[in-house]
Amino acid sequence: MISIRGVSLVYPNGVRALDNVSLEIGKGEFIFLVGHSGTGKSSLLRLLYREMAPSIGHITVDGIRVDRLARGRIPALRRRLGVVFQDYKLLSDKTVWENVAFALQVTGAHTRDVRRQVPRALDLVGLAHKSRMYPNELSGGEQQRTAIARALVNNPKLLLCDEPSGNLDPANTTEIMELLRRINLKGTTVVVATHNQAVVDRMRRRVVRLDNGRVITDEERGYYFLGLGQDQILSG
Amino acid sequence: MDWGRIRFFLGEVQRNFTRNAGMQITAIGTVAVTIVMLGIFLYARSALIHAESGVFSQIEISVYADPAATAAQETVIRTALAQDPRILSVSFIPKREGLAQMRRLMKGQIDTSLLTENPLPDKFRIRVREAQEVPAVARSIARLPHVQNVEYGREVVQRLLQLAAVMRPVGIAVIVLFLLVAGIIISNTIRLTVFARRREISIMQLVGATNMYIRMPFICEGLLAGIAGTAIAVGALALARASLVPKIASALPWLPMNTVAVDLSTLVLELFAVGAAVGALASWIAVGRYLRT
Ligand SMILES: Nc1ncnc2c1ncn2[C@@H]1O[C@H](COP(=O)(O)OP(=O)(O)O)[C@@H](O)[C@H]1O
Ligand SMILES: [Mg+2]
Repeated sequence: MISIRGVSLVYPNGVRALDNVSLEIGKGEFIFLVGHSGTGKSSLLRLLYREMAPSIGHITVDGIRVDRLARGRIPALRRRLGVVFQDYKLLSDKTVWENVAFALQVTGAHTRDVRRQVPRALDLVGLAHKSRMYPNELSGGEQQRTAIARALVNNPKLLLCDEPSGNLDPANTTEIMELLRRINLKGTTVVVATHNQAVVDRMRRRVVRLDNGRVITDEERGYYFLGLGQDQILSG
Repeated sequence: MDWGRIRFFLGEVQRNFTRNAGMQITAIGTVAVTIVMLGIFLYARSALIHAESGVFSQIEISVYADPAATAAQETVIRTALAQDPRILSVSFIPKREGLAQMRRLMKGQIDTSLLTENPLPDKFRIRVREAQEVPAVARSIARLPHVQNVEYGREVVQRLLQLAAVMRPVGIAVIVLFLLVAGIIISNTIRLTVFARRREISIMQLVGATNMYIRMPFICEGLLAGIAGTAIAVGALALARASLVPKIASALPWLPMNTVAVDLSTLVLELFAVGAAVGALASWIAVGRYLRT
């Protein structure tokens, strides 16, 4: 699904956010990107949905050479994946239904398809009964579920999540992670960048650890911290 | 026809349009002022051009016979004129009739009853087939015997040409300037809308809307501003034409205007085309600059 080879990203201000990163992510995988704040997790995701192009290196997403994608072909890439952020990025003057439908409407979908797919996405995230509410009438967890419904409404095969539970309390976090697990079980590849230890430790999935723009470990069923006991976590 | 899609799109346009109404009104006002000026210019030009061709086609040569000429001598002149193939028609105005005409024209301006004798010579009024032959025909008639004087509307023609020569470059420069100003103001208005909607735009981009699609509502917004401004301008021009043109025509009688011949529907169409084009182009540029960065 995703192939990253020898990728470095240097921002215009000279910050080297990623340093020779290589990573293979298979179809249907569930993978955590972990690491301190500022180690390049968001930057790596931005390269995948082509918010940015790498300074050097090759990136393939779902068969598309993303690192040298012409500007005009970016929309086609974005329609094949969904992205979810810490701050939900919902439109406050649109209802839940309208926010989800927006993703289809602005990509030129037929009303017929909008009517069919929006309820399906809302059912998936369990918000069908709140479809007429506005984002500010929802809890953080519900807002994030709305954002996930929007990301999934056109059935992408890949879901990218940048700190999806960053603004959520533990109960809502659990709910969101459970939702992501279900989505993954249906066959969608899920990539989650997080620095939430509890989430990672509970899920026991593949963990790719970044530090200062480099991949330092890649474990099949990892924990948030590598080989560290609880004491050290608390003191460090 | 997918009405759901159309409704969604129109909703987006309306949302844009109402988002910064104040700036929008400024933009519409500028377009209106610009289009009013353009309208006046095109109208005046059209009226003058029609008058110009009208004047040329109607140009008459007045041939004044020598006051001492006898009737027989005048017949010689008349025969010579009738035989000239370049001449379309000849009418003879004896001095009696000439005086009567002058009395009618000058009524209230000159007291013609004071005239003790008729000062006017007999006159032939000649229409020529081709306007450009007027000067040559006039010259050859002047060589006929017993012809005292030959006149044609040289001054009118020259005045007309001078007027056009002055008006055209000045008018065009002013209008181009105003079109630019209108474009810049619309462009800035759209930029404000784009800025107000940057969140929507970034989400659109995130979910894979094409730049074309993102542009569309903004182009429509600019188009609407252009058309609204033009509509106001056309309304104002229509009022002005009804009330001012007759006054101008009577205040400046020397101004050769032919307002009847102006093709108003074409003029209005042209104005709307210009207004719409300025609006659409300005917003295209404004959004384009945003999307590229
Ligand atoms: N737009 C940007 N311009 C310049 N530097 C940036 C930008 N975004 C992130 N960075 C820098 O790149 C590094 C990685 O940032 P980021 O990918 O956001 O890390 P993370 O998501 O792991 O917290 C940081 O040092 C950050 O300051
Ligand atoms: Mg981040």
